[in-house]
Amino acid sequence: MPELNVEENILLPLLLDYKQPDRAYIDQLLNVLGLSDRKHHLPNQLSGGQQQRVAIGRALAARPVIILADEPTGNLDSKNSREVINLLKLSVEQFHQTLVMITHNQSLASYADRVLCVEDGVLTELGGKQR
Amino acid sequence: MKTYMDMVFKYQQANPRKTWLTIFSVALSVALVTTIFSMMDVFQRTVKIQTINETGNYHLMVKYVTAEEKAAILSRVDVQNAGEWIAFEAGQINGMDCQLAALEENFAPNMQVELAEGRYPTQADEIILEQWALKAFQPPLKIGDAVTVRFSGGQQGRFVISGLFNDFGSTKAEAAPGVVLSMAAARAVNARKMSMMLIEFKEFVNVAEARQAIQSVLHIPDERINQNERLLAVIGQSRLEQALELYVTAGVLFCIVLIAGVVMIYNTFNISVMERVRQFGLLRCIGASKAQVRGIVRREGLRITLRAIPLGGMVGVLVTFALSALLKFYNSDLFGEMPLFVISLPGLAAGSLVGILTVLVASFAPANKAASVSPVNAVTGSSELRLSLKKKSSFLTRLFRVEVALGINNAVARKKTLLLMSASVALSIILFLGFNVFIQFMYSAMRTTKPYTPDLSILSKQGLTNDLYRQISALGGVEHAYGRMFGYVNASFDAGLLNQSYLDMVSGVQVLENGRFAPKEKSWLISYDANQLSWARQDLVDGTLDEAALNQGNGIVAVFSNLRHSVSSEPVNWHVGDQVVIDSPTGPQEKTVMAILRGVPFSDSNLNMTTLITTEKQFTELTGDSTLDVIDIQLKDRDQEQTITKIRAMLGSDMSFHDFRQKNSEVDQAFFSIAVFVYGFVIVIALISVLNVINTIQTSVAAKTRYLGVMRAVGMTGAQLNRMVLAEVGAYNLLGCLIGIALGVLLQYQLAVQMLAFAHIRWDFPWFQVAVIAGLTLLVTGLSTIQPLRMIKKRSITDVIGAL
Repeated sequence: MPELNVEENILLPLLLDYKQPDRAYIDQLLNVLGLSDRKHHLPNQLSGGQQQRVAIGRALAARPVIILADEPTGNLDSKNSREVINLLKLSVEQFHQTLVMITHNQSLASYADRVLCVEDGVLTELGGKQR
Repeated sequence: MKTYMDMVFKYQQANPRKTWLTIFSVALSVALVTTIFSMMDVFQRTVKIQTINETGNYHLMVKYVTAEEKAAILSRVDVQNAGEWIAFEAGQINGMDCQLAALEENFAPNMQVELAEGRYPTQADEIILEQWALKAFQPPLKIGDAVTVRFSGGQQGRFVISGLFNDFGSTKAEAAPGVVLSMAAARAVNARKMSMMLIEFKEFVNVAEARQAIQSVLHIPDERINQNERLLAVIGQSRLEQALELYVTAGVLFCIVLIAGVVMIYNTFNISVMERVRQFGLLRCIGASKAQVRGIVRREGLRITLRAIPLGGMVGVLVTFALSALLKFYNSDLFGEMPLFVISLPGLAAGSLVGILTVLVASFAPANKAASVSPVNAVTGSSELRLSLKKKSSFLTRLFRVEVALGINNAVARKKTLLLMSASVALSIILFLGFNVFIQFMYSAMRTTKPYTPDLSILSKQGLTNDLYRQISALGGVEHAYGRMFGYVNASFDAGLLNQSYLDMVSGVQVLENGRFAPKEKSWLISYDANQLSWARQDLVDGTLDEAALNQGNGIVAVFSNLRHSVSSEPVNWHVGDQVVIDSPTGPQEKTVMAILRGVPFSDSNLNMTTLITTEKQFTELTGDSTLDVIDIQLKDRDQEQTITKIRAMLGSDMSFHDFRQKNSEVDQAFFSIAVFVYGFVIVIALISVLNVINTIQTSVAAKTRYLGVMRAVGMTGAQLNRMVLAEVGAYNLLGCLIGIALGVLLQYQLAVQMLAFAHIRWDFPWFQVAVIAGLTLLVTGLSTIQPLRMIKKRSITDVIGAL
């Protein structure tokens, strides 16, 4: 939402559910996202990676048990990509969540517990538990 | 941010330009409704003051009232004021014709009899006179003088002048001063007289019901009751056909004003919401339910209305102030009691109501649309336009260059937007054309002073000499003097031409074997010279006015309007080609009606059947008379009183001196006070319409920022961009213009020819108005795209596309 600042963007899904936002949790989230000192900035004042992190923060705000991520690093450079992946990993570990992620990037896929390969719409590899 | 609704506030804060454009749009519509309704309100008050001034402030008149009836009427709770009026037939005061009446003191102000000097007559030998009458006598009279009053029937008595009251324009014009006797004197005099009870009801009383109640309780038959129809018409209580027709006309136009207000607001909302489908889709992605999106859209509408209504209302109030200030400035006597800062509650209420209701309704449909967009489609933008392949033809691109074709396609592809945009233009045009009827109505239904309306007239039954005419023409203070002949003749024609209202008034008209009738009253025959005929063209309803043609073709000019007891009526339903037989000293002569006029600028105190106009040559043939009967005089602006004294000194005892100046200025004032509003209506509508079109175009261009950015990104040049936007906007306006002109002209025709038939409006196709509309639309379309396009072109392409 271009007219809302970082914090408001993250709060929005909670407000839409008529929930009272848990301040401590939101602050922690902003901290994890590395956006604590930018929480009053508007999206157009952020870099692409930061914008993506806000979007992730918005997805995490409602404390989902399962996160569905479709190419979360699609339009980011490698540095920002790494940051985003680290963030998702951190979130999964810290809040005990499941992340289902779609990616074309083999190295990102290697972070996952289980990798399913899809080639031209056909599931080719089921992948076992690697760790 | 406490709730998701704060989004609305944040959005409006982040997009001030778009928000203000929308607010301004809604404010314009509210202003349109408020202004027109407030003006109507003040207009009604103005006409009421004017009418009371002309007819007196009473609603009902009970003739031959008895003492018991009088007491019963006075004790009614719905009666504001009532008083007895005793009318005599015209009499003479010290040898001069005068109008005689007596009026109870409490009701004198209602009838505009306001004491200027001295005291109201109470004793049986007291009277009061109009101020101007004192000077009309040689030597002049003064308060305390005794005068001889002669009543019709020959009875006469000596009376003392106890006071003076304000001048009436009509009595001055008739050279017969008004004389008010004391009630005691009037009761004592044994001449023919009629006693009437004049009743003014309280405000908001239903006069028809009150009349019935009075009639049934006191057993008063219909013949004994008269209504002040003009005043009733003004306060919306008349049941006369003419008044009803006028109400319906006004009703139709005000309905269109309301519809225009609604459509303009709806259009604005449609634009602002439709272009943000993507944003609402995004909200849906994050988890907003359909109801929540609807809520956001509606809240946005409400916030806009809350700011737009005071703004629009203020414009309405300011316009009303300006008009009432103008009226007060023009005539402080008449409109002095009207407050300067009139705030019209009905006007404000209508404006606000239209604003709130429309925004609620108008935000419903776009809100539903926004809510029903699938989130995925909204974000990818693929749902903005769904065109089937079949529809996409290369027809436009073959006709026009690609950017023009694109623009037209953009306009035509979205049916609803096209409909709303062109409807809002069309409605403005319909309103403009519709209200123009009132201008024509005003010119035909209201008496106006003409360039040839005389300031003074000198009349003599014995005829006036050419010597006198030359002497008066030679006076320094006289601008023009022209002589006129007139006479009274027996005229007959097809009896079917007589209107029922005339037959009702003059009972016993007998139809002869040849279809004609035996006239019960004479007709007024006036001679016009070539100049007067050419002046009269302004009042021409049908036929042609030409002196040579009239002489050759044995033609005559008929006149619709006829004054009876200062009330205008239409005794005859004339057509060009009707045959009229006039009795002349050499036997009956048959004449053909070659032209019909609405009215003549002169009045006659005799009861005539109708007015006929001939050339001077024919007049002499018809009457055998060639001496002047009237000399009409127009004065120069300076030293009028001195000139009048000189003219009075030239007059013989058989001549009467008629001073029309006050009456003319009253007519002018009545016309002015109506013209202010009628032109006001048209100007307000034109101005608001133009602003509305400009604003709508700006809003729609601003809303397209992203689309236009994409166009530039794929290689469209600035000039092509201009052409594309112009083509789109032009398509909306062209369609609106065509629909508006077609329907507007139709409405104008309906109103002028069907609904207001009684006013004899001469309706021609309004070429000039149509040209003005077309030119203005073209100009506005071009000018209003310049600024938003310049703003878009100034920004870098990536910024524009990045913006949501």
